[in-house]
Amino acid sequence: MPHTRGFTILELMIAMAIFTLICGAMFGLLQLSQQKYSSETQLSGAFQETRLAIDQIVRDFNVSGYPAVSMFSKVPTDSSQYVLSPVAWDPNYPATSCLVGTAGSGTCQTPGDFDLIVETDLGNGVSWVRYQLIGTTLYRSVVGKTATGDPVNSTSTAAVRVPFLTNVMNNVMNTPSAGLLTQINATYPSMFPGGAPQPIFKYTCNTSAGPKPCPLAGSDGLPGNIRDVDINLIVMTRQPDAQTQVLKLVELDGRGHRLNPSQ
Amino acid sequence: MMKMMKRQQRVAGSRAQRGTALLIAIFALLLISVVAIALIVSSGTDSALANNYRTSTSAYYAALAGLEEARGRLLPANPNYLPLPASPLSLSQVVYIINPTGGQVIAPNNTANPATYPDNEYAREFGVDVATLNVTINASVSPVAGLPPASYKWVRINAVTEQSMGDPQVPGSGVDVNADNIVDGVTPLFYDPANAPTPGLITTLAPPATASQALEITSYAVLPNGSQSMLQYVVRPLVVFPGLSSQTFPAALTLEGNNVVYEGPGTNSFFIRGQDQCGAGPAMLPAIGYTNGSASDSSKSNISGGATPAANYLGSSIPSSPPPPPPAATGSIVNVGGVMNPNWLTPSGLEAVVQDITNSADVVLTGPTTPSSFPSGMSASHPMTIVVNGDLDMNSWRNTGFGLLLVTGTLKYDPDASWQGLILVIGQGNFLSTKSGNGQISGAVLIAQTRDLAGNPLATLGTASFRQTGPGNNLGQGINYNSCLVQSAMGPIAYKILSFRQINQTN
Repeated sequence: MPHTRGFTILELMIAMAIFTLICGAMFGLLQLSQQKYSSETQLSGAFQETRLAIDQIVRDFNVSGYPAVSMFSKVPTDSSQYVLSPVAWDPNYPATSCLVGTAGSGTCQTPGDFDLIVETDLGNGVSWVRYQLIGTTLYRSVVGKTATGDPVNSTSTAAVRVPFLTNVMNNVMNTPSAGLLTQINATYPSMFPGGAPQPIFKYTCNTSAGPKPCPLAGSDGLPGNIRDVDINLIVMTRQPDAQTQVLKLVELDGRGHRLNPSQ
Repeated sequence: MMKMMKRQQRVAGSRAQRGTALLIAIFALLLISVVAIALIVSSGTDSALANNYRTSTSAYYAALAGLEEARGRLLPANPNYLPLPASPLSLSQVVYIINPTGGQVIAPNNTANPATYPDNEYAREFGVDVATLNVTINASVSPVAGLPPASYKWVRINAVTEQSMGDPQVPGSGVDVNADNIVDGVTPLFYDPANAPTPGLITTLAPPATASQALEITSYAVLPNGSQSMLQYVVRPLVVFPGLSSQTFPAALTLEGNNVVYEGPGTNSFFIRGQDQCGAGPAMLPAIGYTNGSASDSSKSNISGGATPAANYLGSSIPSSPPPPPPAATGSIVNVGGVMNPNWLTPSGLEAVVQDITNSADVVLTGPTTPSSFPSGMSASHPMTIVVNGDLDMNSWRNTGFGLLLVTGTLKYDPDASWQGLILVIGQGNFLSTKSGNGQISGAVLIAQTRDLAGNPLATLGTASFRQTGPGNNLGQGINYNSCLVQSAMGPIAYKILSFRQINQTN
């Protein structure tokens, strides 16, 4: 029986200590990378959702106003066959137009900072396509235009209102989650200047002196004269950063440009 | 002996443990690989997201580039003018612009071959395979040396019907432009600016003289990765004319509005002629036209008082004369309100005309300015559309201008200068000349006041004013109607977009 010399307890303990250290470091690194990965996935997910949303809004707005009244040599009695205005408004649609403002100025309820109703034919007849921010959710609703219907009422029922983008923070200070603003300001100090809401939609109107921001366009600042819409979306990821617990936000801008004539 | 055996065993034992190093190495490698792969996967997703968004946007703008190439090349003034095979185009005539890059073959009318970008959309809009039609194919002019080529494959230009403007996926859909509850699929559409009750698209096989054909432009873009976009315009030519039943001007000089002012120089060399000075032109217009013929309005008496000697105001004595033209009458001062498009008789209508011209002008100058700011390259074969937003002072300009000149302020004319084409003074409606010279205006002049001195829009037309009172006897040769020069200045100066839409691709 040959005698074999084993490891001493000291050798074993040192070996195991080194192994544990290396493994610990390895797993620590792995966990860190896992956290980073999940945060990054969340962030890119938010990016992707926001991009898709902006892309859709831009595409809807680009084709707004089809078919325009100016195409008709005899305007149909049924007003659902044509577009009265590329952007529908409230109040007093369709009788009296209103003035587009910002931050509550102007006389329009919609189009407003967080509410836009595009009137166009997406295929299958003229529709009202509404984008509206309620709380922190941006809703999209599409309903067929009717001669007697109201663009606001018909797009406000739960049946047609589809959650389109969640965690939209543009108006967070006026929602139940207003408390998040302090945290957001700590991480992104320049995102909400003065703590004021950031309009999702800003409008540019055609005037006789060229395009101007609608609130500065005077009597030309009507929904029917809106030529461009600047879209700004600030979206928060579903969970804060797994490593630092800091809120992560993405802010994306887009611009829709209407090519159809005004009326 | 025992010692030797022990040593051998120890050597054999350490040899048996050698393989563990490999296992540990493999294990460590595995761990590192997992981390690396995770990183790669995460960054890969990121770039795919960005790519996806970028290509959908690129395809949209590539298709838009195609639309704009076609819209631009329909204009006669374009250096790459694309004359259509017929005017109007029939429903069996289709024009393509193809844009092959890198040795591609593009044959939109070969609907049987899916590899050469077939145009199946046409069949959906018109119910006819485009392969069976009379197709003209032109090459794109978009490739520019040093720039990446645009990714649109083809652009189609064709006549448009009520049905073709509908959703190809929905049978019976369309845009019923004449509200007769029939979506017509066989009659081409024309745009008639003089149509009653409203200007718009009309369905007809025999268009009136004031109408021009509406055209459909469809552009198809495919990016190398397969992203695609199809966009469509319906456009109509923008031709500047106030005629109610034909594409003409009502008189050599038209003074629109109430109590208009006319003060001629009264010299023997100054003529206003309504006789057409162009070749065999059969047209005969009044020398001076006014638009308010009511007894209480002083337009006619103001003009008659200022237009002396009457023998120098030659033209028709009735608003419009069918051929053959009557002999030219002297003192030709006629109420032309009845032969004008009603839209040209209201301030809002005229403001819309000004807006249209401004949007399509070759150059828009802000007044007060002088002709030294005019663009170069203006010639008889290349008339231009020049808009002056404000006052224009032509003093000491001794050249000839060609095309359409629109002045919204006061036009200070110097008879040293000549103009061939159209002069519109709409806005302040003030034409003033206090200089001398030998120049003349060949074409037509129209003056209307739509704004007060402060620039506020008027509710009804104000007092258009033409005054040419200089020192001496040499005060220009006046205004001579010339249908050829008027025609080329009228345009089409642009193809206006009537509608734009994105066509969903399902093939």
